[in-house]
Amino acid sequence: MIHQRTLWKSHYVIFALVLVLVALSAISGCTREEPEPAGQTLSLVIDCEANRKDEAEAIASQLRQIGIQAEARTWEWSAMKAEFMAGNRQLYMTDWGSSYFDPFDLAIPKLVTGERGNYSFYSNPQVDDLLTQATSATDDETRKALYHEVQDIIYNDAPWVFGYCLEEIAAASTKVGGWRVSMDSRINLHDVTLEGSDTITVGLGIDKIVTLDPGNYRDRDTETVIRNVFDALVTRTWDGQVVPEIAESWEIPDPTTYVFKIREGIRFHNGEVLDADDVIFTFERVLEENGIGGQTSPRRGLLGPLASVTKVDPYTVSFTLENPFPVFLQALCHFQIVPKDYVTEVGDARFAEKPVGAGPFMFKEGRLNDQVVLTRFEDYYGGSPELPPVGPAGINTVVFRMMPDPATRVAALKAGEIHIADKLPPDMADSLMDDPNIKVDSVPGTRTYGIEFCLTKPPFDDVRVRQALNYAIDWDTIIATIYGGRAVRLSTAFIPSGFGYNHDLKPYEYNPAKAVELLKEAGFNVSLPGR
Amino acid sequence: MRGVKILERALAAIPIMLGVCIVVFIFMRLIPGDPVDIMLGEASNVTQEEIDALRAQFNLDEPIHVQLTTYLTRVLKGDLGYSISRSANVRDLLLEALPATVELALSSITLALLVAVPLGIMTAVRHRSAVDRTSMAASFLGISMPAFWLGIVLILIFAVRLKWLPTSGRATYGFVPTHVTGLYVLDSILTGDVPALKDSLRHLVLPSIALGAAPAAVITRVIRSSMLEVMRKDYVTFARAKGVAEWAVILKHVFRNALIPAVTVTGLEIGSLLGGNMVVETIFGWPGMGRLVVDGIFSRDYSLVQGAVMVYGFTFVAVNLIADILYTWLNPKLVIGEKV
Repeated sequence: MIHQRTLWKSHYVIFALVLVLVALSAISGCTREEPEPAGQTLSLVIDCEANRKDEAEAIASQLRQIGIQAEARTWEWSAMKAEFMAGNRQLYMTDWGSSYFDPFDLAIPKLVTGERGNYSFYSNPQVDDLLTQATSATDDETRKALYHEVQDIIYNDAPWVFGYCLEEIAAASTKVGGWRVSMDSRINLHDVTLEGSDTITVGLGIDKIVTLDPGNYRDRDTETVIRNVFDALVTRTWDGQVVPEIAESWEIPDPTTYVFKIREGIRFHNGEVLDADDVIFTFERVLEENGIGGQTSPRRGLLGPLASVTKVDPYTVSFTLENPFPVFLQALCHFQIVPKDYVTEVGDARFAEKPVGAGPFMFKEGRLNDQVVLTRFEDYYGGSPELPPVGPAGINTVVFRMMPDPATRVAALKAGEIHIADKLPPDMADSLMDDPNIKVDSVPGTRTYGIEFCLTKPPFDDVRVRQALNYAIDWDTIIATIYGGRAVRLSTAFIPSGFGYNHDLKPYEYNPAKAVELLKEAGFNVSLPGR
Repeated sequence: MRGVKILERALAAIPIMLGVCIVVFIFMRLIPGDPVDIMLGEASNVTQEEIDALRAQFNLDEPIHVQLTTYLTRVLKGDLGYSISRSANVRDLLLEALPATVELALSSITLALLVAVPLGIMTAVRHRSAVDRTSMAASFLGISMPAFWLGIVLILIFAVRLKWLPTSGRATYGFVPTHVTGLYVLDSILTGDVPALKDSLRHLVLPSIALGAAPAAVITRVIRSSMLEVMRKDYVTFARAKGVAEWAVILKHVFRNALIPAVTVTGLEIGSLLGGNMVVETIFGWPGMGRLVVDGIFSRDYSLVQGAVMVYGFTFVAVNLIADILYTWLNPKLVIGEKV
């Protein structure tokens, strides 16, 4: 009986607790959802991932100075994306990379109505139209003019707070010669020399590379390893110019046809001769559905409107596109040629384990999550004549080590265990500047960083508020303090390394007075500090 | 009888692993994000058709219960599935990462025990002495120091400044032993490869210290307090009164009886070490389970995470079973399966 009573009592306690909890959550819910009376405070939450937390905090504090109630919130990327894609967030920090040195894979996905990367839900029929024209126009001047027009429009529309473009920084031992950071972040070891040793070790800033099959990856780090084992029809100079590699020359008889003449006498590591059949095979296994080990290549989309590849003669191939694709040559830099006979003979899985290419180095051994070892291919045809030196590689052995932690890469470089440390954060790069045995190099990156607005909901459906925020943030201070000055301010969503960038369009200046004026116009209660 | 009990316990692992597997299966799908989305990345021009085609290819467009049934059927056939983010079989990935983690875990725990057992005994015997106080302060430091910080400090001192040991990795190129078990130390002993043995041991030192410091501190404290408790027992006084030598009293009567809590703690520590430590593995470029799993979670690689969690389930059950067997050996009054 007593037992029963205590049981009842405990029920009361639980009931009371639940009541208190409900009441508390109702109160906190109310405060959160209290509607903003018009002409009142503007309150914002800036969403970011952990790597940009400092930046978000700095921005929030700048916004608070003019009376905006701003706070930063950190998310894991996928969770944040799911929320903002559902239209539940206001302002979110995002970034987007471009690998074609053309707004084609930046402006279109980010700004065209309904595109995959259009996180701000921006929709301007004029911009859509101009970008479509720019994609298919074949004359560079026309394309440039179209892109300039787009930049003017989005500058005024301000669908984002336009941000910056970070430099890519890497460091190497001073014993390494002929090395520099490349804008497409691929490391070309063919042209590199090393004093005092015939084995070069590169610390990659990643956990693992995905594969050694050139048809089965999508990330740049994997390509860094693959491009030293395989060569492509064309390649790039460090600043993004397309130059011949396996191809001797090419012609573009009409905007949808590209004819490549293949260099004769190129051999794969197994002795197989490289000819038109290998080139066709390389592209067909990517184009074909379920073409690689029963699965479709994740690289299919990178080829855009490529319809077919045909053999003209044993050393000439012709590519036919469904419609003009001005970045086609840029795209081809990323498609390394594989040996048809070998792949057909051993199968896709075995090929990925023991890759055979026509590049400067042969795969020796290794694990994708630990280290990959390559050795010099003595019968190398020499590589692109436009990228001297031509001939077999200068180094005998290459070791790529997966070193995800930047502090470890720096330590290993200092200890002389590695010769090149890839992907360094600005603060660590600065700490290496004083070391006489180490050189630091950098190039402008190909990734745009900004803050996107949710344009479908107040307050950011009002262009004045969007422009005001562009004026309210002091990017120069943020870049100087958080990124060690190693970033370039952007006037829009376009990046300087890309084709058609308008260098005359200046970024929004830091002008809190102007921001306050615009926000007041839009009906918000804000003021300059001290007034 | 004892064999049957052990077998029973081993079989009990199956429903546990299955349950864990189902829970993880559902939870992984509850967190926002999709493997295909992450795989294709933010960088390039990808069409919606391409995304849909990939989703269909990995059966991600099917209802969750259908996916679960397909998955479980495959698992029962011994097929752990295909890792989307790494384009490889999950089984192969786990078999590659597990030896690295096991090697590091075993060496960390060995190091921890080598420090903790003598120190635990000494501090208990010399209770309240200078040794005791210093060790307790040190162990407090050991518990409080985060492994990643200790790791970086160790690298800076022993690899960069003194250049005694390598900064990271499992082996220098050219010193990787022939693959037998995947445990480099064991493999180089088995193949009689002395240079490889030296090299892999050198690579093990710093991560083992970084990872073993906290368990060493915890185990020292547990042994000390449990020894102190046992030393007050009547049978210890009786043993001394009988005239048993002091070292025999301490080792045979006190230490053995004080070991049970230490075995429990050590078991737990081994269990968690075998899960891999993502942070330490990242700092030391150690290709183990921690990095594999955390990366799998971030890339929403469902099959990979599920496969790894099953390995974790199995490890925990196995380690606990071994601890149970040890209890009965330490204290024959105990029966396997009963609470200590």
